[in-house]
Amino acid sequence: MTSRRMRTGASAMTAVLLLGACGGGGPGGSGGDFSGDKLVLAVLNDQSGVYKDASGPNSVKAVKMAVADFQKKYGDQAVVDKIDVTSTDHQNKPDIANTKASELYERQGADVILDVPTSSAALAVANQAKNHKKLFLDVSAATTALTGAQCNKYTFQWAYNTYMLANGTGTTVTENGGKNWTIIYPDYEFGQNMTKSFSDAITRAGGTVQSTIPTPFPNENFATFLTKAGSTNPDVIGTMQAGGDLINLVKQFNESGLKEKGVELAVGLMLITDIHSLGVDQFAGTMFTDAWYWNMDAEARAWADRFKAETGTRPTFEHAGNYSAALQYLEAVQAAGTDDADAVVGKLEGKKVNDAFLRNGEIRAKDHSVVHDAYLARVKKPAEVKEEWDYEEIVTTIPAAKAFPPAEASGCSM
Amino acid sequence: MNAVLQYAVQGLAAGSFYALAALGLAVIFGVLGVVNFAHGAFYMLGAVAAAVLLDTLDLSLWWSLLVVPVLMFGFGVAVERLLVQWLLRLDPLYNFLLTFGLTLVLVELVKQRYGVSGLPYELPGPLQGRFDLAGVVLPRYQLFVLLFSLAICVLVWLVMTRSRVGMIVRASTEKPDLARALGINVGRWVTPVFGFGVALAGLAGVLAAPFRAITAEMGNNFAIILFAVVVIGGLGSIVGAVVAGFLVGLVEAFGQAYAPTFAQIFIFVLMALIILVRPAGLFGRKEATA
Amino acid sequence: MTQSVETEAPVTVTGTPVAGRDPRLRWALLAVGLVAALALPWFVYPPVAMDIVAMALFAIALDILLGFTGLLSFGHAAFWGSSAYVTGLVATHYGVPFPVAVVGGAVFAMILAVPLGYLSIRRSGIYFAMVTLAFAQMVYFVAYQWSDLTGGENGLQGVPRSFFGIDLVETESFYFYYAALPILLLGMWAAWRIVHSPFGRVLVSIRDNTQRARALGYEVEKYKVMAFVLSAGLTGLAGGVFAINHGFVALTELHWSTSGEVVLMTVLGGIGTLWGGILGAFLAVMLADYLASSGFSGIDLVTGTVFVLVVLLFRRGIWGTVRHQWLARRLRRSSSRRSPADADPAKR
Repeated sequence: MTSRRMRTGASAMTAVLLLGACGGGGPGGSGGDFSGDKLVLAVLNDQSGVYKDASGPNSVKAVKMAVADFQKKYGDQAVVDKIDVTSTDHQNKPDIANTKASELYERQGADVILDVPTSSAALAVANQAKNHKKLFLDVSAATTALTGAQCNKYTFQWAYNTYMLANGTGTTVTENGGKNWTIIYPDYEFGQNMTKSFSDAITRAGGTVQSTIPTPFPNENFATFLTKAGSTNPDVIGTMQAGGDLINLVKQFNESGLKEKGVELAVGLMLITDIHSLGVDQFAGTMFTDAWYWNMDAEARAWADRFKAETGTRPTFEHAGNYSAALQYLEAVQAAGTDDADAVVGKLEGKKVNDAFLRNGEIRAKDHSVVHDAYLARVKKPAEVKEEWDYEEIVTTIPAAKAFPPAEASGCSM
Repeated sequence: MNAVLQYAVQGLAAGSFYALAALGLAVIFGVLGVVNFAHGAFYMLGAVAAAVLLDTLDLSLWWSLLVVPVLMFGFGVAVERLLVQWLLRLDPLYNFLLTFGLTLVLVELVKQRYGVSGLPYELPGPLQGRFDLAGVVLPRYQLFVLLFSLAICVLVWLVMTRSRVGMIVRASTEKPDLARALGINVGRWVTPVFGFGVALAGLAGVLAAPFRAITAEMGNNFAIILFAVVVIGGLGSIVGAVVAGFLVGLVEAFGQAYAPTFAQIFIFVLMALIILVRPAGLFGRKEATA
Repeated sequence: MTQSVETEAPVTVTGTPVAGRDPRLRWALLAVGLVAALALPWFVYPPVAMDIVAMALFAIALDILLGFTGLLSFGHAAFWGSSAYVTGLVATHYGVPFPVAVVGGAVFAMILAVPLGYLSIRRSGIYFAMVTLAFAQMVYFVAYQWSDLTGGENGLQGVPRSFFGIDLVETESFYFYYAALPILLLGMWAAWRIVHSPFGRVLVSIRDNTQRARALGYEVEKYKVMAFVLSAGLTGLAGGVFAINHGFVALTELHWSTSGEVVLMTVLGGIGTLWGGILGAFLAVMLADYLASSGFSGIDLVTGTVFVLVVLLFRRGIWGTVRHQWLARRLRRSSSRRSPADADPAKR
């Protein structure tokens, strides 16, 4: 409903009780195929909190790069001339994300919302997308609920999810000989899901999970948990902590002497910014699944160089994911010739894509999960690092079909 | 049995941070009547300062243990002179609110300047590695933290009980009315004591730098647990703060070992029990009013 | 305790409420307030307008404790958030009209407030603030880990907005505003009644001089717990409406930063003014809303600085300052003599 949009203030005072009279308006910009005669891409993410470095303001720049590339490619042939990119900071507060999403759709004429880290915020925005029948391409939130129980026609999950992270690392590390696992996980939704996916993957690959150790969150002191984990004599300790707690755990793991005993550390969710902030030496040898790495091949590298020219830093996979999501959205608009969400969804669904971010990508129609190759990475030793941000060695490429859960298993029905 | 010993030592090591910081909180409260909400932020600043000193001036942990408390003392003095002192004669709630606002500002400034992902920190060589004492394996650094903070606590206690300055501070901490009645000019000590308390929080931060994540947010949860610590120990009591600090460390460690997800909840349950049984805290005196 | 050495400055002046002196002014203010409340969603995006009014009731509820009982609760997010969750759960599982769910949430908040209040009021003054903060953190941890019930960090999503099948209210946030507004206004009226009842007078006397109140035979503890529970109930009403307004509940609502936010609103508006909370909530919510799209990332820098400045320089808050100025002017006008009555309490 867009009827509210046109209502303006001043003279309204007397009309307070005339609730039935909901001012003029009607669907905006009914003249052309584009509402408001332009396309609005709204990046809604955390620009002040814990996700600022991993995504934040630089994701807005990545989206602008996509717009520039699109305009360069199509020039006069582009179906729309004016493309706006707006940036909104949800301050890592889900309720602000929720209100802002609704306002962006209703009043700012946003055709698509991009990014949205923090699962509670992303799920709330997905709900707004459904209600407003506008697109939402999520990049930074990892919950499988977006493409599972709470999926909807207008929501896509572009880069990764908890299944991908857990399955990739669990399977590959086990196949490479790490048979006995002990998992330390933060006892909340993300940690519980990750642990379950990890355990499934490990068992399927012929390994065993000897014990799973829940921890409180946030938590500074992991010594006790590491002692307990060590007492089970595992080949691998898997940790599902994230952010500051991950750094706490890794520092204390290094102190504990388990590393010298030959115990490997596999991490559920790690971002290149974590490695950057803590230094490679602390993480050296740690294995984790990455959705994309800036130096993984020539194409990624070329894009990363352009990104560096724009922002002065190397991209995370979330930056690249935002670029890809924006670019593919624009391509779909070009193909559909309109910004009508249903038409664009039609063009996106089932499309097979390769771009700077996606390898063997497919925008799955069944659950709107964008599946693509994922990578098992190992953190380099300090001696192997040749330049700044040169932190990861890609051990294996996990093909798209194996990296993501099968569509039938998603539990999504739209 | 070994496991129990192991957890005990780990718990005491974790408790060292609480003990040091709570000691600072207690001294400030004693002399100024201020509950310093920003104590967690000062702890964070101590760790950040150590990381920055290592990064820019290549000052190792040893130097940071010396330099950072001095810097934090200066910072504390500035905060007291510029902000806290204007509210000292009012209801202490105002200073609680003031330091809460200050916390928001400090955390945000660190975020803006140093990002949100954290800062790296390298442990000096001699402190790396582990001790293996009859089956109890302990990182050297944890043992160092434990011994170092115990030493500081004992030192503070000696100063408090043996020196004139200490007696005055202690008198005004534990028996403020009497101290004033005896004509002791407590006011003179207000600024340095605040600085001293802040320095202790900063020192705890330096100690935390090598094995905890150094982020702008690191002090937030710490501060709340710290409040539980001083409620358990009794705010007016210096010994209480230290004992409760180690006690909470132990509760945390054993909680983590035997009922992991409830480890933090146990701390608050302990606090609730103390409030029920001994409202003034383990070592506190009864409030005049209650 | 050190604070007993200094003669305790009361957290605020009560003075005589403006309204008490001039019934015409009281009605005028009430009318302005009502019109403003009704007109708000015309000028402000309706979901944001709803947040403002919900937060306003939250701040007012907190002021019953802070301004009128002298207790600073730094853990009110526990009641706001738990009511939001209960409201959300009731609405989701039973499909009842939302006001029913909100009342359910508020009742739960009151039930939760009984043990927490009983424990917390065993410590007064600054202890009370720390203890409530710690207990609220405990509630937060429980909700975080009990993800079967709360959805953990994914939040409780898809809370329906059921309202007797009236489609406009259920789907349009503009009309929902008017459907939910009476609940919140009722809450504010209740707060006003509480403060101006004999019960409220006892609370003020406890705040000003606990011993004397005790000596007069009042069971101080009982009154404090009652004030705590009532405040939690009104907080719960607000939190419930907030949950329905957003259609989901996230852990943020239980986080200590929410407790801090509402304290800021109350202090900014003016401690002990009750209605100041409305101004505080309006400013705080609008600020967060504005900064979200301003490109300035650092909301805590602004909030923190405002906090420090208000506490240092404008302890009366906005409403309190205005009222003070107004009273001072009236006094000057009515008598040329120096007035000892309204000595500046903040400047001691």
